[in-house]
Amino acid sequence: MTLTLVHLLPELLGTYGDRGNVEIASWRLKQRGIAHEVITVHAGDRVPVSADLYFLGGGEDDAQVAAREILERDGAMRKVINNGGHIFAVCAGFQLLGASFPASGDRTIIGLGILPVDTFAATPRSVGELLSESTIGIGMLTGFENHAGQTGYLDEIQPLGNVISGVGNAQASTVDGVVTDQVVATYMHGPAFSRNPDLADWVLARKVGELKPLAAPIFTQLHQERVANIK
Amino acid sequence: MKLRLVIVVANAAGWLSRITKKGSGVMVTGRIILKLVPSAVQTLSKSRKVILISGTNGKTTTTSLIYHALSSQGPVVSNFTGANLFAGIAAALSKNQAAPVAVLEVDEMVIPWAMKQTNPRLIVLLNLGRDQLDRLSEVRVVAQKWKVALATAQAHCAVLADSDDPFVTWAAQDCVNVIWFTSGAVGHIDASTCPECGKVLEWNTHLTSYSCTCGFKKPNPEWILRDGELTGPNNQKVGVQSGIPGAAALGNAARAIVAAKAFGVPIDKAASEIAKVLSVDGRFGSLKIGRTNFRLLLSKNPASWRETLATSAQGPKAVALVVNANTQDGKDTSWLWDVDFSPLANRTVIATGERRLDLSARLTVAGIKHEVCADEGAAAKVFGAVDADIIASYTAFHRLSKQVKPS
Repeated sequence: MTLTLVHLLPELLGTYGDRGNVEIASWRLKQRGIAHEVITVHAGDRVPVSADLYFLGGGEDDAQVAAREILERDGAMRKVINNGGHIFAVCAGFQLLGASFPASGDRTIIGLGILPVDTFAATPRSVGELLSESTIGIGMLTGFENHAGQTGYLDEIQPLGNVISGVGNAQASTVDGVVTDQVVATYMHGPAFSRNPDLADWVLARKVGELKPLAAPIFTQLHQERVANIK
Repeated sequence: MKLRLVIVVANAAGWLSRITKKGSGVMVTGRIILKLVPSAVQTLSKSRKVILISGTNGKTTTTSLIYHALSSQGPVVSNFTGANLFAGIAAALSKNQAAPVAVLEVDEMVIPWAMKQTNPRLIVLLNLGRDQLDRLSEVRVVAQKWKVALATAQAHCAVLADSDDPFVTWAAQDCVNVIWFTSGAVGHIDASTCPECGKVLEWNTHLTSYSCTCGFKKPNPEWILRDGELTGPNNQKVGVQSGIPGAAALGNAARAIVAAKAFGVPIDKAASEIAKVLSVDGRFGSLKIGRTNFRLLLSKNPASWRETLATSAQGPKAVALVVNANTQDGKDTSWLWDVDFSPLANRTVIATGERRLDLSARLTVAGIKHEVCADEGAAAKVFGAVDADIIASYTAFHRLSKQVKPS
């Protein structure tokens, strides 16, 4: 059976180049000869609920609220999880998987409730390079964060990284993102898969099993350069 | 009297800074003026008719085109080298105080301040798109600032606004005196939701018009640029030609004609003056590095890359891309993934600049064959004695533009 990647709502959750994660995932699979297809879901489309790996990116306030409405319809994302689908989510995409998130006009929007996290508004925005040590055994993770929301855990869950430089989930915390059985979430733009090829492969391998090594030196060089730049 | 003395001193300091090669001197002059006389911009604008130009892309070019069209009628001051923050505006206004007209490029975030200080007769609003998200914040935050400021504009202040852009439309639609313009631009990468209510914005199939269930919609334009012809009220028409390449430049030429007309320049005269401008502040200028004849192009955000790549595709086969990520470029390079680089297919491509590895990763996944070079000197060695385009992000562009040969 062909592997299916789903790019969710790029026009709403695509402000920070996170579409790159989908392109890179597809490219890395293709280089290894692994058959797959990429479905892009636009605002008017139905969300397919039995695909393999879903991508959510960052976006602006109103777009995040509009995206949440579409993803909530018919309990689509809940069905995705029940059907064993995996999700890779960044920034606004991360926030909307939680219990609630802030929006313009001091509103609090109920999230999709897939992750036991909650996000509240704070100033100033957290903007800049984000460097963390991964909790999943793949070394350093590097990205660029840009978010006002501060995310806290509602339960004991595993972060994606322990922050070395930058903010991550919240000013008051020392971690970035979340890892659960089916979800990997982070505040790292960059995009994350471009700067962190091992993260891309780790997320893919959880769905397709062990991957052959891939000679793609540019991504390794980029990763090393970004990490060295911050340290 | 005090202000006059300050201006003399500040311009002398600027001159000193320029001849000692510390900088263009503009910022030094402007900073001294504002430090010593904080109300200087207000005072220097009082006896002048002021035009403000702002938007994400095309500010410097449009400002220069309007300057040239109006200069045919009499003296004009302008900050047409792109110094568009407080100091740059103050420095421009301190020149030739006998000039009755000032044409001022203004940074998007500085529009509210500039409106208060200069009491403008015309504001030209080009477009709003994602740009330097780490500094300028999200598009609708900027649109909101504009909307609040523009709501205070009185009838004597006309606002020439681009109806193709939902954010510009939303910001300008409450103005008393608005002149809508369209160049038939297609779609908008950041306007997926309605600026008014946040619902998903409906676009027609050709992406030339938009509307929302809340009632927000594209207004009917008074001035229409279509197939190189500009048509205005009472069916007045003029052919638009641009000496600067590209569709965006043609749109800016048309806007400049409308702006000049509002200041009394006949449209035929404005059009002919504007067509003479071939290069603005280094854009499309030429420079030689090693044996390569480069043409210099500026690109600074996804919308401008889209435009520049299309324009460059009509040019030489060889092309070097220079990507930096300093403060003025925006420190986050994620936007590279929002640019469609496919127009580079089948060209000879070199990735360079401080963030050449980010660029190279992007091009690799896009399937664009390329080489990575440490700098443009190394790129010139690879290219050899050919014509080539060099498309540079903001800080690289300004470094390279100093080497542009005067045309």
